[in-house]
Amino acid sequence: MTSYILRRLFMLVPVLFGVSIFIFLMMRVVPGDVAQTILGTDATPESLETLRNKFGLNDSYIKQYMNWMGGVLTGDFGQSMRNGRDVFPEILSRFTLTFELTILAAIISWLISIPLGVLAAVKRNGATDITVRAISLLGVSIPNFAFATVLILILALFFNYSPPIGYAGLFEDPIKNLEIMLIPALVLGTTMAAAIMRMTRSTVLEVLRQDFIRTIRAKGAKERVTILNHALRNALIPILTIIGMQIGTLLGGAVIIEQIFSLPGLGQYVLTGITQRDLTVVQGSVLFISFVFVMVNLIVDILYAYLDPRINYK
Amino acid sequence: MKKYLFLFVSILLTIVLVACSNDDADNSTESEPATDGGATSENSATESELKIANDQEPAGLDPHKVPAASSTRIYSQIYEGLLTFDKDMNIIGSLATDWTLEDDTIYTFKLKEGVKFHNGREMKAEDVKYSFERIIDENTASHIRSYFADVASIETVGDYEVKITLSKPQATFLSNLTHASAVVVPKETVEANGDLQQNADGTGAFKLQQWVPDNNVTLVKNEDYHVEGEPKAAKLAFYTMTEESTRLSAIRTGEIDFTTISAKSTKLLENNEDLSIIPYQSLEYSYVGFNNAKAPLDDEKVRQALSLATDRQEILDIVWSGEGLISGPVAPSMGDWSVDVAALDLYKLNIEKAKALLAEAGHPNGFDITITTASSYPDMVDTAQLLQQQWKEIGVNATIKQIEWGEYIDTWSNKTADILIGRNSSGIDPDRALNYFFSSTGSANVWNFANADYDSIVVKGLETTDPAERKTIYAEAQEMLINLSPNLFLVSPKNYVAVRKNVAGYTPYPHNASDFNSAVKE
Repeated sequence: MTSYILRRLFMLVPVLFGVSIFIFLMMRVVPGDVAQTILGTDATPESLETLRNKFGLNDSYIKQYMNWMGGVLTGDFGQSMRNGRDVFPEILSRFTLTFELTILAAIISWLISIPLGVLAAVKRNGATDITVRAISLLGVSIPNFAFATVLILILALFFNYSPPIGYAGLFEDPIKNLEIMLIPALVLGTTMAAAIMRMTRSTVLEVLRQDFIRTIRAKGAKERVTILNHALRNALIPILTIIGMQIGTLLGGAVIIEQIFSLPGLGQYVLTGITQRDLTVVQGSVLFISFVFVMVNLIVDILYAYLDPRINYK
Repeated sequence: MKKYLFLFVSILLTIVLVACSNDDADNSTESEPATDGGATSENSATESELKIANDQEPAGLDPHKVPAASSTRIYSQIYEGLLTFDKDMNIIGSLATDWTLEDDTIYTFKLKEGVKFHNGREMKAEDVKYSFERIIDENTASHIRSYFADVASIETVGDYEVKITLSKPQATFLSNLTHASAVVVPKETVEANGDLQQNADGTGAFKLQQWVPDNNVTLVKNEDYHVEGEPKAAKLAFYTMTEESTRLSAIRTGEIDFTTISAKSTKLLENNEDLSIIPYQSLEYSYVGFNNAKAPLDDEKVRQALSLATDRQEILDIVWSGEGLISGPVAPSMGDWSVDVAALDLYKLNIEKAKALLAEAGHPNGFDITITTASSYPDMVDTAQLLQQQWKEIGVNATIKQIEWGEYIDTWSNKTADILIGRNSSGIDPDRALNYFFSSTGSANVWNFANADYDSIVVKGLETTDPAERKTIYAEAQEMLINLSPNLFLVSPKNYVAVRKNVAGYTPYPHNASDFNSAVKE
């Protein structure tokens, strides 16, 4: 196992190297000039040129890439071209929020989807199953930005409530933090729950048909034990795969949710960076997100082995 | 084995969490600790804190470097220039008490005494000289460097007098000095921090307390402010809220006190008894920009035909819900400076004449063309779609190309599009609208438009200092421009601010919707 993990960690290097080249070139191929975007229409050509020289944009691509990578390898992701802030500390601080949002959303989605999915499988074709399937279909079909906008409108119009503005870190003011995060996490979590619910239902159903379940039942095990300890446990592998992928999707879905709820997370940071052609911000953030994505997948792979003793990575 | 796995996963998660929980304070900009009564203003702030929605994250706070509106509305609370506009757009003193002009080129400004920067030091003539020289310095890469292009020298006379000599007469010089970026900054703060992007130190009514990126910028009252009785509020907090639906919901529930809203959203709030919707005519106008160097738009008859086939009233009614004014190149809110366009032939819909002009230009059956517009601005997209329909009447088949904002700016500056839909600000002097956008040397003339007669008129307008004479010159320039139609000028829209009813003392003007000095919560 250790050698497997080391091997996987070692594979991070080419992956991140590829991502770095891809995002570096991508940001230079897309039309749009950071100097013009910063200075606007009033800028003189000399001011634009001064700014481009300052950012090193007149250097060759190879030199620009080497400068950037040289910094990254020593932990310096550079400064935002737009406002001069150091990129790496800002990524970390914003990731705290996005990570918290993702985890909260994931927990909410598990709490909703796994029990309901199991219930639907157990009560197959009954009223509960049909309701759960209808809800999950609805959840899969409604994009989270639409759900968020409608929810905000309903809360404001009928309950005179809008999520608090401002931001407080989890460790600074946990209550305010949770109040701020609750609605965004709920939106993100419910849309995610739909997909997991469907997967849980079908995999649990599949497991329930297998011989060992019949054996367990024949041995006189209680139905609750049969379902939770045996059927669900064996159904978790595909569910886990979906969850792993969904965590990645959540990090992406957070972009829209952070924007709608004005949360200063990583998604908002990348989005602002892209529209303003802030090259260092976008490059640094994408590299970081890729790292997180790869790590999440690694954790999921390790969890497979834990859940299913037949899997080993020797 | 399982135990080790769990251990590994837990350690990994802990590392990630700890790494990420790096103190947020590292990342938020906090100003110098308040030395004078900071705690007092903090306490009273809870009572009279005004919360303002900002539709974009500020792009830095250096007034000499950042033109973005999301930044300007914040730093204009912190910094001041020598001059400013009153509500009727008359130039009045701000840091200057008096000024004189000799030989049309030498301006002498007397400074107000006893004005202090937020760092406690008195603002003096040397600071004015330093600030303007910083703008002129190529290394600063200031967006308003061109405003000082004709400055030959800046001298201080004692501590409270500054003499600025121009290389030639420039009628716009005083109005340029009212610009939100032509402000006075202290040298020591710039030198200590490299620039003023994250740190702020001005003479204005509010001082920077903290900036939490992508969330809020909080300003507190400057207790030493040099205008008696101002500001009224103890605290201003600007919250970044990019989504209009979020801003609408927050103002409904009282989470914020001010927000700008679009014309279409006014209907959603008009029956809310806790809110006032304040409309004001903007300084902006929407336009259709032609590539004057590219066939068939290089022929003025073609451009005039398109003007005659454009139903501006329909654009006003549909795109702007009828709220606005049909505009020429100088927006109607500039008062006497703008001409009455309703009387002009090219503003009257006339399909027959348009067809005849197209036939004369050699296009009796019309032609195909591409209209480029920014996808992020619904008004621009709607305008493009209406024009596409309207121009079909004369056989012009337009294809609409919607592009993202960064690419749009690129297309704008590269002068590559056939037709570009956009919005301009008339600025605070007609020189901007007429010279800067349309003279052959104008730095924002991205239309490949060049006309020697027009150039000489706008140069004359710039060098004439008598206001009455300037008005005649600029009226001539506007009529000539509308006739040559390098752009079609469409509609000057209204802007709207939604304000909670318990806020008093706030009035937006076309040239300044962010004056919060007298605003207070009752």
